[in-house]
Amino acid sequence: MADTLTVRTAGITTVQDLGRVGRSRYGLPVGGAADQHSARVANVLCGNDEHAPLLEITALDFACVPSADILVAVTGAPADVSVEGAARPMWEPVPVRAGDTLRVTGIRQGLRVYLAVLGSFTADYLQGSCAPDTILGFGPALRDGAELSLRRTCPAFDHPYSRIPLFRLHAPVPAFPSTWTIDVTDGPDRAEFADTAPRLFDAPFTVSPQSNHIGLRLRGERLPRRVTEGEVLSRGVPIGAVEVPAGDELLVLHRGRGVTAGYPVLAVVTATGLSALGQVRPGQTIRFRHRTLEQAVTAHRAQRGAVDALRTRVRTAFDALRIRAPDGD
Amino acid sequence: MNGNLTITDCGDSALVAKAVGLGTEDAWRLVHALADALDAVRLTGVQGVVPTYDALLVELDCADTDHETVRRVLWHEAARLGPTPGPTTAPRHFVVPVVYGGEHGPDLPEVAARLGLTESELVDLHCGSDLTVRCLGAPAGAPMMDGPPFPAPVPRLASPRTRVEPGVVAVAGRQAVICPMPSPGGWPLLGRTPLRVLDLHDDPITPYRPGDTFRFVPITPDRWNDYADAPLAACRG
Repeated sequence: MADTLTVRTAGITTVQDLGRVGRSRYGLPVGGAADQHSARVANVLCGNDEHAPLLEITALDFACVPSADILVAVTGAPADVSVEGAARPMWEPVPVRAGDTLRVTGIRQGLRVYLAVLGSFTADYLQGSCAPDTILGFGPALRDGAELSLRRTCPAFDHPYSRIPLFRLHAPVPAFPSTWTIDVTDGPDRAEFADTAPRLFDAPFTVSPQSNHIGLRLRGERLPRRVTEGEVLSRGVPIGAVEVPAGDELLVLHRGRGVTAGYPVLAVVTATGLSALGQVRPGQTIRFRHRTLEQAVTAHRAQRGAVDALRTRVRTAFDALRIRAPDGD
Repeated sequence: MNGNLTITDCGDSALVAKAVGLGTEDAWRLVHALADALDAVRLTGVQGVVPTYDALLVELDCADTDHETVRRVLWHEAARLGPTPGPTTAPRHFVVPVVYGGEHGPDLPEVAARLGLTESELVDLHCGSDLTVRCLGAPAGAPMMDGPPFPAPVPRLASPRTRVEPGVVAVAGRQAVICPMPSPGGWPLLGRTPLRVLDLHDDPITPYRPGDTFRFVPITPDRWNDYADAPLAACRG
């Protein structure tokens, strides 16, 4: 019989991956984990391919029980992680024995937690990805009692004497501040906002409750205003586009955005900024920070480079512990 | 170089190539040919292309490639294509049965009134010519077509619907569309086709491509079941 991971408390949890890459030409948004960095790190900490299915747990408490010994990693927003009531670290691999309850509770400062399992689990795919898409009606939230088929197990192990945490892998942990700084570069239509464009950086914005993986709505004191007239012909807009509709809110497009739009794009959130934005809770405030394209690219490469370096450390640690890494399964 | 193109950075993960100084038709041909060319090159780090009317968005991962590389390839392909490339694939033709008005097209009377037409005149115009698919857009691969020759643009609804049914046929501005999936929608609805517009498990997801043409054909509501759930398929070409 196949081993399973049974969800006891689902909260708001979906099966995710890094998204439906390469389908934007056919009108499909890429979607995928809202905080790509944390999702990537969770899989890498389990020795998985970074595109492997994992769980995205949003805001509410979560609990699950495996039917076999497994290794997991929990990343993303700060939360309390425990196995049979004993605290376990985030951002490190954590062994869970068959029948033990793994809990993620008290998600705070951010919105989303990622839970990866060594070897991952089987997932339904559509158009090359298991990421949910609300328009396609694909990838429903998990319910209490849902069973995920584990693709691998991992024999239980522990430090024979000290029982101290086994791993010190120094995963790159992003900041989870109370006021977020979100990096942006100039957008293609910045000139249409003339001297109102710097208002984007003058004061903080509050994230409205009508925000999700499609886009975030932001309220502010003085919004930039488009000074030109005329309709913009529909065209492809990038993830991270900061749009200024006629109302009193800014719109920032996230990974579930429709691929085309007609609003002028004032600025574009950077790749690292998008992962951070995937963690911002409704009601929190953000400040935009202007970056040059070069600064933005450098930051993204540094973040990805840190994950690559982590992958090497995980391999070394797994080899030393004789854990068969699932990479390339 | 190609004098009819500008290429602009669009954040750290995208570029926009825009056709300039060309007519609508040539601009559209150029950005779609460029998208096909870039797809064919399969450049590492390029994650998506979105060709629309006069612009092509290229999505990339700047850890795996860089803007300059993508820009060079775009310039190279644009020079190879020339300013007025021909179509890369032969256009196909789709015939789409539509039940107009009533529950399926609740906005038909108002759109007709606004345009100063009778309802049957509006339907005749909507069905009277082949409409060319210009690009695929939201939601889910919706075919965005140049609209029928209405006397004036059609305004969007003041308050978008939270859900429209799959297969609804809508118009706005000077564009026409079929919504393949249930979704929110701000476009006035004229009718609905009983056909299954796309299959989520097909790859690519849509049976139609930009450049293909659609012809709407009115059917009476009692013929709905004759077509219900049949897949939309090209009928010639």
